[in-house]
Amino acid sequence: MAPVGVDEWVARLEERRERRGGIVGRALAAWDGVAPVWRLVIFAALVASVPFLTDSDFVVRVGVNTLLLAMLALGLNIVVGWAGLLDLGYIAFYGFGAYTYALLASDQIDVHLSSWLAILIVVVACALLGFLLGLPSRRLIGDYLAIVTLFFGQVFVELVTNLDRVTLPGDDEPVDITGGPNGIAGVDPINLLGIEFLTPTDYFYLSLVVLVVLIGGLYLIDNSRTGRAWRAIREDPLAAGLMTMPVKRLKLLAFAFGAAVAGLAGSIFAALQIGVFPRNFETPFLILIYAAVILGGAGSITGMLAGAAVVGISFELLREPDEASWIFYAGILLALVITVRPWTRLAAVLAGVVALGLALHAVVGGIWPETVAGSPQADWTFSSAIDGWLLLPEDPRTIGNWAFVALVVLAVWLSQAGPRARLLALVPLVYLAAFVWENRLMLDPSVTRQLMLGALLIVVMNLRPAGLFGAKRIEVA
Amino acid sequence: MALIRASRTPMLILALAAVVAAGCGDDDDDGGGGDGGGGTSAADCTGTIGVMAPITGDAAELGEEQRNWARFGLDRFNRENGSKLKMVEGDTQLDPGQASTVAQQFVSDDAIVGVVGPAGSQEVDAAGPLFDRAGLGFVSQSATATELTESGDYPTFSRVVPKDEVQGPTDADYMIDELGVKNVLIVDDQTSYSTGIADVLEDELKKEGVQTTRESVNQKQTDFSAIVSRIADDTDVVFLPWQLAANAQQFGKQMQEQGKDAVIFGSDGLFSPDDFSIAGSYVSAFAPDITSIPESKPIGDAYSEKYGEFGTFGPPTYAAIEVVATAILAACEGGDPSREAVADQIRQVKLDESILGQPISFDENGDIRRAKFFIFKIQGGNFELVQ
Amino acid sequence: MDFFVQQLVNGLTLGSLYALLALGYSIVYGILKLLNFAHGEVYMMGAFMGYFTLIALGGAASPAVPVALVLVLMFLAAGLSAGLLGVAIERFAYRPLRDAPRIAPLITALGMSFFLQSTALLLFSADVRNMDTSELISPATGIHAGPLDISLIRILVIVSAALLMVALARFVAQTKLGKAMRAVAYDREAAEMMGIDVNRTIVAAFFIGSVLAGAAGVMVGLVFDRVWHLMGFTAGLKAFTAAVVGGIGNIPGAMLGGLLIGLAEAFTAGYISTTFQNLIVFGILIVVMLVRPTGLLGSPAIEKV
Repeated sequence: MAPVGVDEWVARLEERRERRGGIVGRALAAWDGVAPVWRLVIFAALVASVPFLTDSDFVVRVGVNTLLLAMLALGLNIVVGWAGLLDLGYIAFYGFGAYTYALLASDQIDVHLSSWLAILIVVVACALLGFLLGLPSRRLIGDYLAIVTLFFGQVFVELVTNLDRVTLPGDDEPVDITGGPNGIAGVDPINLLGIEFLTPTDYFYLSLVVLVVLIGGLYLIDNSRTGRAWRAIREDPLAAGLMTMPVKRLKLLAFAFGAAVAGLAGSIFAALQIGVFPRNFETPFLILIYAAVILGGAGSITGMLAGAAVVGISFELLREPDEASWIFYAGILLALVITVRPWTRLAAVLAGVVALGLALHAVVGGIWPETVAGSPQADWTFSSAIDGWLLLPEDPRTIGNWAFVALVVLAVWLSQAGPRARLLALVPLVYLAAFVWENRLMLDPSVTRQLMLGALLIVVMNLRPAGLFGAKRIEVA
Repeated sequence: MALIRASRTPMLILALAAVVAAGCGDDDDDGGGGDGGGGTSAADCTGTIGVMAPITGDAAELGEEQRNWARFGLDRFNRENGSKLKMVEGDTQLDPGQASTVAQQFVSDDAIVGVVGPAGSQEVDAAGPLFDRAGLGFVSQSATATELTESGDYPTFSRVVPKDEVQGPTDADYMIDELGVKNVLIVDDQTSYSTGIADVLEDELKKEGVQTTRESVNQKQTDFSAIVSRIADDTDVVFLPWQLAANAQQFGKQMQEQGKDAVIFGSDGLFSPDDFSIAGSYVSAFAPDITSIPESKPIGDAYSEKYGEFGTFGPPTYAAIEVVATAILAACEGGDPSREAVADQIRQVKLDESILGQPISFDENGDIRRAKFFIFKIQGGNFELVQ
Repeated sequence: MDFFVQQLVNGLTLGSLYALLALGYSIVYGILKLLNFAHGEVYMMGAFMGYFTLIALGGAASPAVPVALVLVLMFLAAGLSAGLLGVAIERFAYRPLRDAPRIAPLITALGMSFFLQSTALLLFSADVRNMDTSELISPATGIHAGPLDISLIRILVIVSAALLMVALARFVAQTKLGKAMRAVAYDREAAEMMGIDVNRTIVAAFFIGSVLAGAAGVMVGLVFDRVWHLMGFTAGLKAFTAAVVGGIGNIPGAMLGGLLIGLAEAFTAGYISTTFQNLIVFGILIVVMLVRPTGLLGSPAIEKV
């Protein structure tokens, strides 16, 4: 019988009981005890040190992408997490911001405003657009809003791809506004306080500064009247309205705010990429932002940062088989450690998996040598170990496909089975997962990335809908 | 679901630890690519080629084909030359933003000494500056925008396909001289490849006083009945510079359904006998169907056995990776398998034969020499060379 | 006049297809208040299953059995596999979230859609498959009288879609299960207390919606000759719009919405330009949302306090 009432305190009761003692618990308590300002400073310092720890421009670039993702997650958090409005077209604001900046700082219409002015205009314009989009949504209940915003996002890309032959009244020749499918190239770099931002490292620090300021501002808003009002709307719009809160105005404010943040991120992106193209703003990126928000736990600022970090970094790392394999195997280990208790059972399972692998390798590989003729795609620390442990056929595409289907079916069935069955089947399941990974998924790392993103969303929602840092909420029917 | 009752902290710590470990695990392959000293034989020449293509996303059909051909090509090259060059794929989804990230990834990976790709012209604009700064040579298998080579912005860039400037006039001349057109409908598919060729063709035709109408479709579209219904009765030719031949086939079918008898003229994207076979149509192609070149047919067959059917975007990728691999071997032999050396060697590559049925060498801008366009007509179910 | 009739036919074909898909969205939303984003992917899988059946039977050029039987088998295979997939998705991804806050099943659906797309890409590769319908049924067959120029396959699509919709309407109105679906849609707890097996009803709803989607998938493959892993996304979006325009949760609404969107698309493409197709559809959506937020045939939503 679910508890009655919509109440964060009640929902958190279980969590409070769960709070552990020991080192971890005390460390966490200590962290919570530090004043927010210092937490922010520590965070900023840690992140700022990244470019010094590596000489790889790629890592810095991934860092910038992650910082931008964090900004977008924070912005989306305002709309979805704080105000409870489901905006599935958020990426259009990002695109609008980027394109507006590009128009104001490139040769496209021959306008080259100073960065301050351009960014200011972008932010205001995006806020306005958010406001306008919010207007029809005042009358829409939750799901309808999702639909309209979703379509808005799609239409934005269409518009931008087709506005390269616009016939204005009074003009004979069609005008090229957005560059069509070719986008706008040659966007001016950002130039603030006399510093010209050119390299990824420059943009890393710029994004970090902007992010820190943003976090500070959002924290203040969260604890202000407006923040509390948004939370009230999220929990129960009807009650909030009856308490004389200007619900519609607050909704519009949330939309405008979220859009402004997206616009700001968009302008930085345009300058970083030295151009904007329609393809930058398609649905897969929206799903990435949502993954960050969901994983982190909608509603919590820390959550957004954590979500963006995990999603952004792992998504990039999954491009290359070497790094991807780290993530995969570590992930499996993590899942096992968390779910299999006590540690004796865990050890048994792990031993079982290893034993099963070696046994199969010896027996099956002995009878049919072709089944071990191949080698792992990735070239990493444990490649040779895996080669000796797992069955790796020479041309594994077809058998890999079937194994994949079998894996999905088995995993899904297991999620519904009883504890006894689960434990028994766990060993073959882990082996099968490794088999599918090495033999099929790593043949197509680009597709695997997307697959795992989708799977992540499904699994997180099913196991922990509140995300890592979100507040558990209970709704009354 | 009582599966996770643990507090979130150990989860989070382990998750971040995994991510950090993965990031650090990269340090193992620093400083690859062979050291200097005297010439290195093929067997000792190590190097990795980065391959950029739209492996997922809307253009996945082309990208997958390009990636598969690259893999296939490198395997063959290694076998024939006793080398052990490796390949790393980079998925760009035809998105310049991703192309930029992938380019960064390739630049930061010391083992990569040469790149095949990017596939799209805007992607070259996004990745070009990065490759240029790193001195990394890159050969595109399908980017045709004219300014990429003519502007001189990318000195390490080359391509195995001719620029838009060549294809447009060739087609226009044929249409005017051989087909005597007066009225042409041009339909682009909104990609920069398509609009590039379409724009050039439109200009050429207009110069000769031919009446042109311009329409546009989306690559995701499957129903063209509306545009087909709008084809005027006095339209002689419908020009479809599309990337996806199957779409053109659908277009042609709908033309037949509605009794429109204009002739379809396509660019090299339509050169896909399996997908596009409307009798009486013309297709211009940079290279003939490789299965009609006796030396190339067995290669095509070997590919099909392993990977299935292919269109026109695959074989140029094979040629491109052959060029880069050859350049790497040459650099190794010269004792200096660095990126700059490889980039130099790419421009000096001279292959007497290639899968494309013509020799490969590059001019000072990076364009392939002697880029010729062939025009085919579909007659009796076959693509027959008419010019 | 010819032109107009041509566009009308195009619109009806498109509209029937959108209607079939929209029905799936509407039925599921009516019962669960869930926007099932993965529905488009179920449609795509159905299309693939139909394609594979065709290949298994020898391909369009040389089928091993008579053409009519080929079509029937394709429809059966597509419908059944799609239905099973839909049921499986409900059981394993949505059911645990029945009482969770609304955003959870929505995001799960989004993730499921992405997952299925990627799975199709992985298993079937990015190659676009062609059903080569013209080999199976020559485009010359059909009605070519006066202004009318419809191929047999389009007639087939329009007719079978209509039949399916009529069958569905009767099912919902007259059978026990249909009534149970309406009851659960109206008030789930009350229905449960009245002894209706809610789980079974929900499964039935998913099954029916998915079967229709699978059938639509095969039809699209036959008419437009393209089957590929991203086809579910665009079609799903439009069908979604159709369901909303007609009044989501409302079965006649879904049919009306589908036809409306299909005709709008065809006439826009025909008389204005294909570029503005999607924009006009979006425009219709906005207008309907402003004027009648619950859709054309939807009942004004009463918020229970």
